[in-house]
Amino acid sequence: MTRPLLVLLIVVLARPCVAPAEEPRFHDGDWPFVPVRRPDLPAVPPNTTSSGPIDQFILAELAQHDLSPNQPAELATQLRRVTLDLTGLPPTPDEIEALLADQSPDAYERAVDRLLASPRFGERWARHWLDVVRYADTAGYKIDWLRKEAYRYRDYVVRAMNSGLPYDQFIREQLAGDELPTPSGEAIVATGLLRMYPQESTAADFLKQRQDVLDDLTEVTGLAFMGLTLGCARCHDHKFDPIQQADFFRLQACFAGIVPRDDIPAASSADFAAHQRQQAAWEAATAEVRAKLDALTASTRNGAIDEITLAYDPATRAAWRTPAEQRTIEQRQLMALSFRYVNNIIERRIARLEGTAKTEYDLLQTELAEFDHLKPAPLPLAMSVGNGPGAPAATRILETGDYRHPAEIVQPGFPAFLGGSALAVGKADSPVGRRTALADWLTRPDHPLTARVIVNRLWQHHFGRGILPTANDFGLMGETATHPELLDWLAAELPARRWDLKTLHRQMVTSEVYRQSSRVDPSNPAHVRALQIDSGNQWLWHRRRVRLEGEIVRDSLLSLSGRLNLAMFGPASYPALPAALVENTSIAWQPDPQLAGRYRRTVYCIQKRNLRQPLLAAFDQPDMYASCGVRTITLTPVQALALLNGEEAAEEARHWAGRLLADCGGDAPRLVQQAWLAAYGRVPTAAELTDSVAFLQNQAALIQAESAIPSRSLPEPLPASISPAQGAACVDWCHALMNSSEFLFVD
Amino acid sequence: MPPAWQNSPLTSRREFLARAGGGCGALALAALLASESRGATSGAARRPHFNPRAKRIIWLFMDGGPSHLDLFDLKPALTKYAGQPLPPSFKRPVTSMGVTAGTPLLASTRKFQQHGQAGIWVSDLYPHVARCVDDLCMVRNCAAEGLTHVAGLMQINTGALIPGRPSLGAWTLYGLGSESADLPGFVVLADDQVDPPGGSGNWGTGFMPASFQGTRIGQGPHSILNINPASGISARRQRGELDYLQQLNKAYADVRPDHDLLAARIAAYELAFRMQAAAPEAVDLAAETAATQALYGLDQEATAKNGRNCLLARRLVERGVRFVQVYMGVGQGWDSHSNLDENHGKRCLESDRPIAGLITDLKQRGLLDDTLVIWGGEFGRTPMSESGNGRDHNATGFTMFFAGGGTKRGHVTGETDELGLYAQNPASLADIHATILHLAGLDHERLTFFHNGRDERLTGAGGRVLADVLA
Repeated sequence: MTRPLLVLLIVVLARPCVAPAEEPRFHDGDWPFVPVRRPDLPAVPPNTTSSGPIDQFILAELAQHDLSPNQPAELATQLRRVTLDLTGLPPTPDEIEALLADQSPDAYERAVDRLLASPRFGERWARHWLDVVRYADTAGYKIDWLRKEAYRYRDYVVRAMNSGLPYDQFIREQLAGDELPTPSGEAIVATGLLRMYPQESTAADFLKQRQDVLDDLTEVTGLAFMGLTLGCARCHDHKFDPIQQADFFRLQACFAGIVPRDDIPAASSADFAAHQRQQAAWEAATAEVRAKLDALTASTRNGAIDEITLAYDPATRAAWRTPAEQRTIEQRQLMALSFRYVNNIIERRIARLEGTAKTEYDLLQTELAEFDHLKPAPLPLAMSVGNGPGAPAATRILETGDYRHPAEIVQPGFPAFLGGSALAVGKADSPVGRRTALADWLTRPDHPLTARVIVNRLWQHHFGRGILPTANDFGLMGETATHPELLDWLAAELPARRWDLKTLHRQMVTSEVYRQSSRVDPSNPAHVRALQIDSGNQWLWHRRRVRLEGEIVRDSLLSLSGRLNLAMFGPASYPALPAALVENTSIAWQPDPQLAGRYRRTVYCIQKRNLRQPLLAAFDQPDMYASCGVRTITLTPVQALALLNGEEAAEEARHWAGRLLADCGGDAPRLVQQAWLAAYGRVPTAAELTDSVAFLQNQAALIQAESAIPSRSLPEPLPASISPAQGAACVDWCHALMNSSEFLFVD
Repeated sequence: MPPAWQNSPLTSRREFLARAGGGCGALALAALLASESRGATSGAARRPHFNPRAKRIIWLFMDGGPSHLDLFDLKPALTKYAGQPLPPSFKRPVTSMGVTAGTPLLASTRKFQQHGQAGIWVSDLYPHVARCVDDLCMVRNCAAEGLTHVAGLMQINTGALIPGRPSLGAWTLYGLGSESADLPGFVVLADDQVDPPGGSGNWGTGFMPASFQGTRIGQGPHSILNINPASGISARRQRGELDYLQQLNKAYADVRPDHDLLAARIAAYELAFRMQAAAPEAVDLAAETAATQALYGLDQEATAKNGRNCLLARRLVERGVRFVQVYMGVGQGWDSHSNLDENHGKRCLESDRPIAGLITDLKQRGLLDDTLVIWGGEFGRTPMSESGNGRDHNATGFTMFFAGGGTKRGHVTGETDELGLYAQNPASLADIHATILHLAGLDHERLTFFHNGRDERLTGAGGRVLADVLA
């Protein structure tokens, strides 16, 4: 593959660049490219009792279309819905029973507060953001190497969601955390956003790769924070949105001065200072031996550099031949892109030294090791960015987006149609402050897109579809907003409430429209009529039923079995892969040696760009190369097979059955009751109870008649009081529930 | 009028509306029912519009954009003017990498020869395919609009440059149904784990029911993951569980008739269950003779992956699978912006024998008459050079070929200009799609799916059947 980063760009670029030419153009001043003005609350139709602004907008719109809202859902249904929505786990039987027993009028609201305060909330909502920033633990493409410190960014997002970090601060830290007056370790880690680009280490065109990275960062900034497909403007003025090619490169200039940093600790400044002092002591003590080592390996090193970089572009070659401290920003960027491959070869050649050189080398290494006691314990290091020294290379408009066809120079700035034209940011001769200015501009209360875009993302995940359905495309090629005034009202609220996202979550999930029933009733003439008016339910006359994401399927399976390991944070954990996959591919990973490590929440599992967990892939996990604003929902026999035959459901069914049998013994009705609550969040009907008990008996008889019961189909553990056939039937019953639509869908 | 496709075995909104008829006007109900009938989720075989020449389709997809100029479209003028810029008389092309009129023309280094009775030119990159030319119908005037891979793949697979519409395979399955009750009607194979640009959107269903989606299966002895229960239970025991599961799912779906994914899940589980018995047999290439395996190149490392997929494609269509798409060089393997000779040398070595083997094998088994084989990529490549020895994407003129399925044999249709840049009287992708559907017995103007108040079709507002392709 000769064009690594291009893939990513193309994925992002393709959508609007290529639309039919007769589409109308956006004009300056069109919604949503104008600052948010808080609309008046609409008049509510008579005979309705509405509790909040969200419901007022929804009811007014429904009335316009001669529709009315659905009944509220059963309380237990509401609890299952909001618990899966806010925490990504089903409610426990205890939580359900507590809510149903609670007679107070605000019982639901208090449950919401409990869920918003749960650490599970951040894990759930971090995942949504990680989709948008194409988070992965690996670099992608053929080599797909592990980025050891990437997980710290994932942890940062989990913490940010949990702590209720204001959204403006969240933006600022990710784009410019290193430029804060006294950056915390967290703020440094946050800039990992700017390191998430996929990268190929063996491609040799580093000038192009450098441009690809800059394009990628510009794109993702547009998509994630502004819902804009800026990619089109890389090559030409946007055909449909009022984005000029110059806008793209002016925004890009904000990133021109960054260099990747893997040496900045994710630690407090005091720890860092102590570390630096100790490091200096070690360096002083070892200066002589290290100088000898350098001298000994210089010819090997320089020879390798000379030889390998011969095939590179002159700029990259020159960067390698320039002493480290004298390198320009651009040279540092080129070094970062080419370092891995060249350095691997150098190290391999040094390892292959022979004769006296080898003897001397080993001696010096032994000598060096004697100073190890002076070495400071390694600090946790962040995968971050910083500003390089001196002036960044001028940013130029590139003719047709081609790095080999630079045209006029542009200064850092923001798109004119978003009111950014007058802002001159940063200085031409220094990169410092450019990204801070970008963050400042994005978080201005009158920025037309920042608040609208994040409000829409929250709405999308709470309601199954955004107010503007194309969450990453607020431009003309995106879909139309169904409730633009509601979106504006909420977007006006956000900065007014100090960008507090939890308030917004709470407002949404406690609204009546959120709590209404998803059921469309065939015997209800009003529903039949509503179907004719709005079969797609765009006016929200009933709740939209959603299918669980793959991550939540897996977490829920582990939750039922009781094996879910709730340890938070840290390096990626490695769940087991299907044996057939391991046999077949060289890119399979080894599962965590510690069993508990395999059963952590999926958000902490390895996100490998080239190999997705088959269960997650079957349930539409995005590919991690491009920003994903809206996941697709597919249904294939492969998906059915993954859950029906896959190890995940099979194993968790065994442990769930073991757990239920330990609790309930042979008391089948009680067992069914408990399982039903855990899986579906409700009490079984009499018929469901009867059918379940009948199945347990019939299946046990069927199994009894077979010659053998595979040990991997028995409950874990199998209580002494239960026969293997009965136990196995219970496993099958649990497994059926885990495969059932009611478990996988949220009413 | 659409063909009679009301044979859905599933509880549908249609039934629900019929039961709920009292509440709405008879006319409105009739309109809703009419639209529902076209959206039926059944995968069972349906009647085509007219007698199909192609009962099954195998689409060999060269991912990344193979160079027509170095394979099939000989341009002496390109050699003559090599090193010179594109003459000013040519319209300035728009290309993805910005290679423009300023870049010098690059001659092909390949040796071309006329082959077969038909005397069709093929370069030395494809010696085995060259021996099949008398069975091929070359279309040298293909033209698309996507500048980038993902846009190109989307358009050639779904008719639209942006993701979200049903693929050709989904339309074919929607039109004809599947002839296999035990295997997916639309299968996707590839020579590596990665997805082509655009991923599953290339075999997606867009606004159609999910059951028409392509099912991707992998390589090797366990090519379909999870084809057996991990717990090791017997089919009988699993059937017992599945009966209960389907009872749960049906009860859930019955009272939620507005949600067709729920009904489709029931069908997907039944198909999955039957696949367990049928698929291992279908993918078991050991059942083939050594001679057949060698014909497809399974005996050599370079050709083994594509060979297995081509042989698998034949076995699948033999078992009633309607549409098989085989990606070769998946993940933009043919994308040769530099070192085209090296790139195409490898890709052609890997694909040449398997493709020729497939065509030969289909023919000797009498299957080629009603099996359509399609060869092509998302676009071709520019006559102008990139990086000195590569070529940029060129969607404005490129070559595809057909074999069998009612297409002319040993025939060439269409041409590009003297440098191979622009197709003359271009065959648009809508034309290509219309022609493929026509061969499958479907009228692209009548094959519609009602969505958002419109009768959608694969070919949008365009498309004409390429008469010169039809035998």
